[in-house]
Amino acid sequence: MADRSLPAILPTAVVGSYSMPGWLERIKTDFFLRRISAHELDEIHDAVTKAAIKDQEMAGLDIVTDGELRRDNLVDYFLVRLPGVQVDHASKRFYYDFYDAAVRGKIPTAPLRLTPDLQFLLRNTERAVKFTVTGPHCLTKRLRNEHYASEPALALDLARILNLELRELVRAGATYLQIDEPYYSGFPEDLEWGVRVLNTMLEGVEAKIGLHICFGNRYGKPTWEGSYRYLFPRILEAQVHQLTLEFARRGYEELALFREWKCPFELGLGVIDVKSPEVESPATVAQRIQAALAVLPAERLYVNPDCGLLHVPQDVAFRKLGAMVEGAAMVRRELGAA
Amino acid sequence: MLIELGYLHNPKAPPADAAVTAVLRAVERCRADGLPVADLRLYFDWCQYRQTFREPVVARASVGGGPGPAVREMAVDLRQAADTESLEALARAALRQLAPEAPPGPARLYLEEFAPLRASIIWRFNALYWREIEHWERTFRRGFEAALPGGKSDASNPAQVEEAVQQFFDGLRTLEKRGTLPPELFVLEIGAGTGERAGLWLDRFRDLADSHGKDYYGRVRFLLSDYSMPMLERAHGNVLHHADKVSFIALDALDPLKTLAFLRYKILAVHLSNLYDNLPTDEVARRDGRLYLVEGRAYVEDEAAAAVAERYGLPADGLRRQIELLLRIGPDAFPDPTAGVEFWRDLWRLVRLEERYVALEELEEAVTGLDPEVVTDCLASAPGELRCHLSNGALRSFVRTLPLLHPKGTLQVQDLFVTDLADYRRGFRGPGKLDGSIVNWVNGALLRAAADRLGYRVEYTPFRYRPGSAITVLTTSLKE
Repeated sequence: MADRSLPAILPTAVVGSYSMPGWLERIKTDFFLRRISAHELDEIHDAVTKAAIKDQEMAGLDIVTDGELRRDNLVDYFLVRLPGVQVDHASKRFYYDFYDAAVRGKIPTAPLRLTPDLQFLLRNTERAVKFTVTGPHCLTKRLRNEHYASEPALALDLARILNLELRELVRAGATYLQIDEPYYSGFPEDLEWGVRVLNTMLEGVEAKIGLHICFGNRYGKPTWEGSYRYLFPRILEAQVHQLTLEFARRGYEELALFREWKCPFELGLGVIDVKSPEVESPATVAQRIQAALAVLPAERLYVNPDCGLLHVPQDVAFRKLGAMVEGAAMVRRELGAA
Repeated sequence: MLIELGYLHNPKAPPADAAVTAVLRAVERCRADGLPVADLRLYFDWCQYRQTFREPVVARASVGGGPGPAVREMAVDLRQAADTESLEALARAALRQLAPEAPPGPARLYLEEFAPLRASIIWRFNALYWREIEHWERTFRRGFEAALPGGKSDASNPAQVEEAVQQFFDGLRTLEKRGTLPPELFVLEIGAGTGERAGLWLDRFRDLADSHGKDYYGRVRFLLSDYSMPMLERAHGNVLHHADKVSFIALDALDPLKTLAFLRYKILAVHLSNLYDNLPTDEVARRDGRLYLVEGRAYVEDEAAAAVAERYGLPADGLRRQIELLLRIGPDAFPDPTAGVEFWRDLWRLVRLEERYVALEELEEAVTGLDPEVVTDCLASAPGELRCHLSNGALRSFVRTLPLLHPKGTLQVQDLFVTDLADYRRGFRGPGKLDGSIVNWVNGALLRAAADRLGYRVEYTPFRYRPGSAITVLTTSLKE
């Protein structure tokens, strides 16, 4: 029986994705160019996912993910599984480009078939696991809407389908789910309905829910700049347990927002800059955690990178995670919780 | 035999049927003499530059590549080969050079050993020009822009600058509406030129911001950069009235990120004009499906070298040493620096490049610093027989500038771009000489492929502000 317990404070995890090896990127592109079969790609995905899990364990993470290495990007993996979404398969040259995808009719309810990914993860680790799912706002922003009266209407239908999928994931053993909604930062004016459909997606989902909001990480670059101030107070209505936010690249001044708004959530604190090849020292990580402890009690802090590690070279990613784990351990020791 | 008539695509090239016939006559005579000509390739160009590194007729062959016939080809610059009688004689001589047991070639003073083109000594001459430009311009009493096709740089075209400023201003308003306008608005010009564009840009930006009641001008930080200190000094004079807005930065155009790492993802507009075409580049040729790296060896014909030496009172065997002194010290290596500049110009006009093709086993051998996969994919999209630039310098500069861009920032480059690789078969794309500098068209298809892979979108539009301009405008922004 796997022991999936967590340390009393400051558990460590990746946000979702793990480093994508260059050769895997080429293989995925080969698949899009019809040079290898789907079956061969599936086998390769199984192997690299096992390796990503093993790397996270070796780095010492308390919570592991599947590394999201099966996914082209945070959007297409979901869109191609949605019946009723018409995808132009010729519209992308590299695997993490986005498909041109359109909705031309009401999206029928159907499973997205994500549970095999979760089951694979659970089979291959004895640590606590987190499973990530892209939220309805983000998916809506990448879809050409040629049917629904409005974006919120489309997002609501997506949320209902995603809700069923989350429930299915919980039935399959998920205890910690993370919803990714990076497009909130690009479209702050959508936040009102963005949170509304998020809550629809989460209705009756009996698991710990994290909500990851960043400023984009496409091709390892920020897609937007700005402040998290736009989230407040609307985000306080989100039916989540945790916000997972990026700070390492942008600085820690906005931690004050948690105090200012008496934010009740846990914080998944970004302590690793995923857009810089420089490996942080454990001491730097510890300092960053200490900065957050001035605002939040340790019991409400999770420690993670700013965003996914997809675009970070594997050796760098591994060393960054090692520093993160060691930095968190240093703070635990200081707090007498080692 | 393969014959490529590249000149046909050039509307300026006069009819060349007589010249082509003369060359074919030379081929027939060589065939009659028993020389192997059946597998030759013949290329007819009309080089648009008044000065190039080519003789009217050149022969080149491949080395390496294992068993199988070597590539043997002859290229003719029809612009230099108006006299068909001498052309036929030159062609016959070149064909004899390509024969398996070739007689000794013409007597030449070689300035280097064979090397990839990007490493040729010609780039040291190019660097000397920008380092010592004041000497050159003072001696010949004309500015560097006078050598350009329009006699003036398109960088400071008022209509273009106005439109660029308007687009920048509109972008700022969008950011402001979304509440994401940065407190400081960074703008970068790589290659200061005369500073005229920077001055114009700031004038127009200030007026536009003021007319809309915006405080944008007060927040702008204009970074004017160049690796040539004399150029930065010159530019200074054109932006004096914006002195507190402009910072002058000595910057290696090949690696802007190295100098400006603290501005990663912060610069809202980057502009370059006619800079990429002046950065070192290699060339590759694909013949019968195999890739070759073009290597060059700079030389001066013995006779011409002796004449130069005599004109400047140098011993005949002391020319190479004097050239080295010139490249290291500049015209001040001469007792009379003005004579030094004249020597430099006379010699530069005479410098030619002998070429050979070196078979590549792996593309990685040739694309140091570039992503071989991007290059491979890009070349795979091109027609079969191809010779093109790798634009190593431009590509490196481009890739090392992109990380500076703010997510909503734009990089704009005005230059000579080959946007479709097939265009390499439709005309001569360099290298040419512009006064003391070098000009090569830039492999825009390769830049687009590299950007695509890095998450940026590249668009090319013709420079529409001067009729007849060969300039293309590259605009890059982050993929949405």
